[in-house]
Amino acid sequence: MKNSTIRICAILMAVFLLVGAIFYFAAGDSLYFTPSSSKPVSGKGNVGELLEGMSLKQSFTCQTDTLESVGLLLATMDRTNTDVLKIELTDEAGTLLFSEEVNTADPSRVQNNAQLVITPRESIENAKGKTYTLTVTSLHGVSGNAVTFYYGNTVNAGRANVAVDVSEKDALYVNGSIKTDEANLFCSLCLTVAGNNLHLFGSIYWYVYAGAALLFGLLLVYLAYCHLKEKKNAILEILYSFKRYRFLTKQLVARDFKTKYKRSVLGVLWSFLNPLLTMSIQYVVFSTIFKSDIPNFSIYLLSGIICFNFFNEATNMCLMSIVGNATLINKVYVPKYIYPFSRTLSSSINLLLSLVPLLIMLLITRTPITLAILLLPFVLLMLFLFSYGVGLILAALMVFFRDTQFLWGIVSMLLMYLTPVFYPESIIPDRFMSVYRLNPMYQILRFIRSILVDGKSPEPMSYLYCILLCGVPLLIGILVFRKSQNKFIFNL
Amino acid sequence: MIKAQNITVCYRMANDKISSIKEYLVALMKHKLKYDEFVALQDVSFEIRRGEVVGIIGNNGAGKSTLLKVISGILTPTKGSVELQGNVVPMLELGSGFDFDLTGSENIFLNGAILGYSESFLKSKYDEIVAFSELGEFINNPVRNYSSGMIMRLAFSIASQVNPDILIVDEILAVGDMAFQEKSHARMTEMMSHGTTVLLVSHNLDQVRNLCDRVIWLDHGHIKAVGDTQEICDQYYASNQR
Repeated sequence: MKNSTIRICAILMAVFLLVGAIFYFAAGDSLYFTPSSSKPVSGKGNVGELLEGMSLKQSFTCQTDTLESVGLLLATMDRTNTDVLKIELTDEAGTLLFSEEVNTADPSRVQNNAQLVITPRESIENAKGKTYTLTVTSLHGVSGNAVTFYYGNTVNAGRANVAVDVSEKDALYVNGSIKTDEANLFCSLCLTVAGNNLHLFGSIYWYVYAGAALLFGLLLVYLAYCHLKEKKNAILEILYSFKRYRFLTKQLVARDFKTKYKRSVLGVLWSFLNPLLTMSIQYVVFSTIFKSDIPNFSIYLLSGIICFNFFNEATNMCLMSIVGNATLINKVYVPKYIYPFSRTLSSSINLLLSLVPLLIMLLITRTPITLAILLLPFVLLMLFLFSYGVGLILAALMVFFRDTQFLWGIVSMLLMYLTPVFYPESIIPDRFMSVYRLNPMYQILRFIRSILVDGKSPEPMSYLYCILLCGVPLLIGILVFRKSQNKFIFNL
Repeated sequence: MIKAQNITVCYRMANDKISSIKEYLVALMKHKLKYDEFVALQDVSFEIRRGEVVGIIGNNGAGKSTLLKVISGILTPTKGSVELQGNVVPMLELGSGFDFDLTGSENIFLNGAILGYSESFLKSKYDEIVAFSELGEFINNPVRNYSSGMIMRLAFSIASQVNPDILIVDEILAVGDMAFQEKSHARMTEMMSHGTTVLLVSHNLDQVRNLCDRVIWLDHGHIKAVGDTQEICDQYYASNQR
C-alpha cells in the first residue's frame, strides 16, 4: 500500500509539473502582453493633395502600456505617386522619438484606401495616457502626383455613425491651422494606434509555478500521510467516494448514452449532425439577413452553439436527475450527488463528440490551429464545473418546486440572449459591459474563441474570471444541494 | 450488529401538498402555511447482535418500512442515530433500478452497480446470475419485453448474489412461478445461514415464526414489544383477533 501511494503521488506531481510547463508554452506571449489597437474615426473627407511643404499635425493619447505602431488611412487617388513623406513622432515635451521618410511609390507601404503603418524601430514604453504628436510633411508633392489623408469625427457603432468629441488638443492641424468640418467641429485623421497592454503575470510565471508546485507537493505529502495512517480528511473522503462509486457512475453514464439514441436510425451520428445543422441554419440567418461582420463567423458561431448546447443539455438533464430517479432514491442508498454528476458527464461525452465537427470546420475554413488549442481542456473543464453547479441548484430546487422546469426554460433562453452566441459582443453598449461580463458563459465563449479564432490565449485575467465565475455557482450548488438532500425523500 | 438509538422520523406535511411556487406564495400570504407533523417513528431504540434474524411485525402504517429505510441509509432520521457494522444489502422492491430500454445483461451491470457491487465481482458472477434467473436467450432482449415474472426473477438473481453482513428484506420471499419460488426460498435461507444479520418485515406470521429468532412489534411508530418470536406473535395475533 505504501509503495502504490508513493507512486500515485509521484505521478500526480509529475502531471502537475508537466501541465504547468505545457501551459506556459501554450499560452505564449499572451501571458506577457495583449495587443490592442484603437478604433479609427470613419473617413468623412480628405485633406486634399498633400503638396510640397504642406504638413499635417495630429496629436493622440495612447491607451496602451506600450506604443507599437500608428496607422494612417490614406488615398493615392488610384495612381502611383513619387512623393516622399517625412513622418515625425514627438512626445509631449517635443522630443523627437522617431522620424522616417516614406517613398509613396513603395507598394509595400502605400496602397490606395489603406493604412500607412508607421512602426518605430523600438516600441515606446510607458506610453499609457501620454500624448504623442505625429507630423506628416510632403517633400516633393506636386498637384497630380501626391497622396492625401482621410479625416473625420464619427465612429461606426454597429448600425449608425456616432459623433466623437475631438478636443482641440487632439484635433488635426493642416499647415498649422486647425481643421474643422462644415459644422465647425474639430476633426482627426483616421488614425489607428496599436500597442500592447503588459501583464505582470508572464514575468513572474515561473515563481508562481514553483510556489504552486511546492504547495501541491506539500498537499500530496499530507494526503499520503493521512491515507497511510487512516486519518480522516475531507479531501480524501471525496477521493475515496469517487473511487468507490466510479463503477456506478460509469454505468449511469453508459445508460444515459445508450438510451438517448436507442431506436433512432442515425443514433450517435446525431451528436455530430445536431450542432452542424444548427450552425448551418444560424449561419445563413445571421450572415445574410443580419449582415454580421464577425471574422471567421462559422467558427465563431459553431463554438458558441456547441458550448451553449452543452450547457442547456446538461442543466436540463440535471434538473430531472433527482425527480426522475425517485424510485431509486426511495429504495437504495447512493450519494445523491451522483445523479446530477453522471448526467453532466454523459452530456460531456456529447460535447466531446460535437468537437469533431468543430475540428472539421476548422480544417475546412483553413483556420490556423496553434499551440493555444492545448488550453481547450481548461475552458471545457470550467464549462463542465459551471454546468454541474447550476445543475445541482436546479436538481435540488426541482424537488421542492416543480415549477422550476418551466421557469428554467425561460431563464436559460434569457441567458442565451445575454451571451454572444451568434452576435458580436461589440453591439453591447459600453455602459452595460461591466454587468455583461459577469455572465460565466460570456467568459467561456470569449476564452474558447480566443483560442480557436485568434489562435492565442486570452489575457491572464481571463483565467481568473473564468475560475471565479464558474467556481462560485459550483460552490453555491454544492452548498444548496448538501443542505437540502436529506429532505428530498419527503418530496419525491 | 445494528444499534438504533432513539430514532424519530417526522414527516412535515403541509395541509395541502404545496408543490409550486404560486401555491406556496398564496398560502404564505393567506397565513395558511401550517404544517401537520406526522410522526412515523418515535423514540425507537433496539440492538441486534451479529447473526440474529429479527422479524418486524405490525399493522399497515406502523412504521415498518420507514424503519427499514432508516437502517439502510435511504432516510436520515429527524432525531437519533443508527450504528451499523458491515455491508448492508437492502432487498426493498426488487427491480426498481431497472431501465426498461436496456437489455437484461446491461441491466445486470446497472442494477449491480446500484447495489454497490464491484465490476470484477459482477463479471465473475455474471454467468451465475443468468443461470439462476433462467432467462436464457432473453437476457439479450430489452427488459420492456419481459413479463413481470421474468423481471422479478432477474432482479432476485442480482440481489441475492452476495453474502451480506446485514440483509434487509421487505416481503419478497416469493417471486416467480412455483419452481422459482422454491429456488428463491432456498437461496434466502442460504443467505441467512452464514451468520448474516437479517431484518425481515413480513405480514406472514408463519414465515416469521419459522425464520426469526426475535421479533419487534411496531405499533403507530412506537415499539409495542420486543422479544421471543412465538410469544410476541401470539400477542400480535390475539390483538388482531379482537
